[in-house]
Amino acid sequence: MEKTIAAAYENAPKTWVYKLLLVFGVAAMLIWSSSTIVINDTTGSGLSVAKNILSGIFHPDTKLLFNFTNSGVLYLLLETLCIAFLGTIVGAVISVPLSFISASNLMPRPIALVGRLAIAAIRTVPAFIYGLMFIRVTGPGPFAGLLTMSLCSIGMVSKMFIESIEDLDKRILESLDAAGCTTFQKIRYGILPQLFPDFMSTLIYRFDMNLRDATVLGLVGAGGIGAPLIFAMSSYRWNEVGSILLGLIVLVMIIEWISAKIRTKLTRG
Amino acid sequence: MIVFDHVSKVYPNGTVGLKDINLSIQDGEFVAIIGRSGAGKSTLLRSVNRMHDITEGTLTVEGVNVSTLKGKELRRFRRGIGMVFQSFNLVSRTTVIRNVLAARVPEMPFWRVLLGAFRKEDKITALESLDKVGILDKAYIRADQLSGGQQQRVALARTLAQNPKIILADEPVAALDPVTAKQVMEDFVRINKEMGISILLNIHHVELAIEYADRIIGIHAGQIVYDGPSKEVNQDVLDAIYKEAVPQGKQT
Amino acid sequence: MSFYDRIFKPRRHTLSNGKVVEERFTRLPLIMLIILVCTAISVRITGFSFSVLLSGGQRFFDILFDMFPPNTSYLPKIWTPLLDTIKMSLLGSFIGAVLSIPFAILAASNIVTNRALVFVVRLFLSLVRTLPTLVCALIATYIFGLGTMAGTCAIAVFTFAYVGKQLFEIIETVDMGPFEAMEALGATRLQAFIASVFPQVLPSYLSVSLFCLEGNVRYASILGYVGAGGLGLIMNEKIGWREYSSVGMILIVLFVTVIAIEGLSHAVRKRLT
Repeated sequence: MEKTIAAAYENAPKTWVYKLLLVFGVAAMLIWSSSTIVINDTTGSGLSVAKNILSGIFHPDTKLLFNFTNSGVLYLLLETLCIAFLGTIVGAVISVPLSFISASNLMPRPIALVGRLAIAAIRTVPAFIYGLMFIRVTGPGPFAGLLTMSLCSIGMVSKMFIESIEDLDKRILESLDAAGCTTFQKIRYGILPQLFPDFMSTLIYRFDMNLRDATVLGLVGAGGIGAPLIFAMSSYRWNEVGSILLGLIVLVMIIEWISAKIRTKLTRG
Repeated sequence: MIVFDHVSKVYPNGTVGLKDINLSIQDGEFVAIIGRSGAGKSTLLRSVNRMHDITEGTLTVEGVNVSTLKGKELRRFRRGIGMVFQSFNLVSRTTVIRNVLAARVPEMPFWRVLLGAFRKEDKITALESLDKVGILDKAYIRADQLSGGQQQRVALARTLAQNPKIILADEPVAALDPVTAKQVMEDFVRINKEMGISILLNIHHVELAIEYADRIIGIHAGQIVYDGPSKEVNQDVLDAIYKEAVPQGKQT
Repeated sequence: MSFYDRIFKPRRHTLSNGKVVEERFTRLPLIMLIILVCTAISVRITGFSFSVLLSGGQRFFDILFDMFPPNTSYLPKIWTPLLDTIKMSLLGSFIGAVLSIPFAILAASNIVTNRALVFVVRLFLSLVRTLPTLVCALIATYIFGLGTMAGTCAIAVFTFAYVGKQLFEIIETVDMGPFEAMEALGATRLQAFIASVFPQVLPSYLSVSLFCLEGNVRYASILGYVGAGGLGLIMNEKIGWREYSSVGMILIVLFVTVIAIEGLSHAVRKRLT
């Protein structure tokens, strides 16, 4: 009996070699990437800037915050919200056909693959490059931001749409076939009801993300709240920075709360 | 030795769990507790290692008044008592031996717990425990790849690795098929007879209780209605245990 | 009966056997109306116009066509910023993912019994999540100066908030049976957590962290735009100088890198579950 236990002990799989390699691998990677830790604080004002931003958030510029004109925080937030909203919708309109083309259970493999590559390519280009490209079309302003947002939404939205499409329950189609439905009827009563809640849920989630990303557009002059934020920062007007950040945080949290509510309702029916 | 002396338990919502329980269980006994669902079997069992608190009376286990224990003392006390659950309560994603080694965790320094670096003695103890329940060959397999009966044996091995004086088993065979249930009950008997560990278990199957346990305790609405050798359990006794529960208000 | 049902009365159907079934009026018109109104407002505010799109649409492709053929001679100069981008996302993801562990534990209501603590930690996590990564990088450039440090920091903050939220949700869906067993055999709550909850959440945690890393490579490439190092820096520069064929080269390299990292991480994640 002693022997069998000793044998069992010896027979333990030697996972430590594997673990050691893993630890070494991760450690090597971290050491390699630690070269990014360079504090380039030429002005030596890092800490005071951090303090200023914090104090700015707690003492926001209320004049700017509750200003109802075109340059007030409220209007800029509304503009950002509109860019995100319409961007999501336009993105969705483009994504629907694109994701049906790329769904491997509906289309032949080569076509689906090309579709997926196109989506991946669209995703690769960073938002600010799209922003610069659209500014040539529309001139600076929220319109360019909206178009940028649409293109940026396509990648993630199509990816999620494709997943929903590939998860379709085909047994329902079979039963509709058995009931003698035409192709159109099968799509209308067999496929759409399955896809609709998933699609809506994806879009609401994306809207939530777009709102966050839309703040960035101002950097290239494509509207929204980003531009005033940067101006305020580069001229060290921390109270303005504080009021803009505060407004942004409140807006994003409200939208997140609403979107979470709607999405749980969609999944639970 | 476990002694219940006028023990009662009332839940915060007013439900009576136990009512004036007087009971003493000697070392090395094999006791089965039977009764309807909600009669208080589980409460009785779980009060022994204070997974549930009692509200009145004194409960003494191995000479220790259970109600006075807290923090570190309570945990040290619990180490001497094994517990087996209906749903096995194994970490299904890890190997069998890791599950058994969990029993050694309370005695290990923090860094060993964090890194999962078990000492050789602990591993040998774990393997021996697995050998005692006959599944030594499964030591390095993931727990979720075993059958229900084998998983319950892993849980049993985990309590054996604690070196307990008492094993509490809360419906240990309720999730198993009849044949496996018998095998697990036989394991309990073997552990009871060969290692002299007291065994206290809750069970739904009356036949299994009578066949394997030495002593039966019947509970009805939080009170003991039968306490005696399993051979003397007859239809009248069972009727008393399993009769319709009288609604709370009408009880005298 | 909600407000909406009071305005649009439910329809009543009487079956042949006399039973009455109420059918609530569909919500569709209300939803459509809300979406339409929002769209109309958005169109006004953003100045959306099809005619501008049609007349100027081809100019969008001007830059795109200028990118091809990409300037291959620029390739050797891309490597350093590319590696910087990868390093930033690796280190940032690692730091963020590790930092998120204690917060996620404190935010899990099945582990921490103190409701107030759970609420405060969750509020903190969602506050951090509201901060757009680029804004975060921008702030970091003011604190740490221009360079990769700011980028690493921004990515760590983003990862922290994202993984933290996912992780506490994973912890809350864990099987608490083994935890109970550990407490019954005399372990402290911390020991019980490490021995029973850790092994259950580890694969999902790693998977979420890797997923986050995939996205971070993309993000890291943008951060340079605000001076936080990496590919964004040279992209911004080349756009400024209108050297679009070099931008094209950068994008191709980025595309290949992202696909490669996604493929690798996807393969690892498949093995984890």
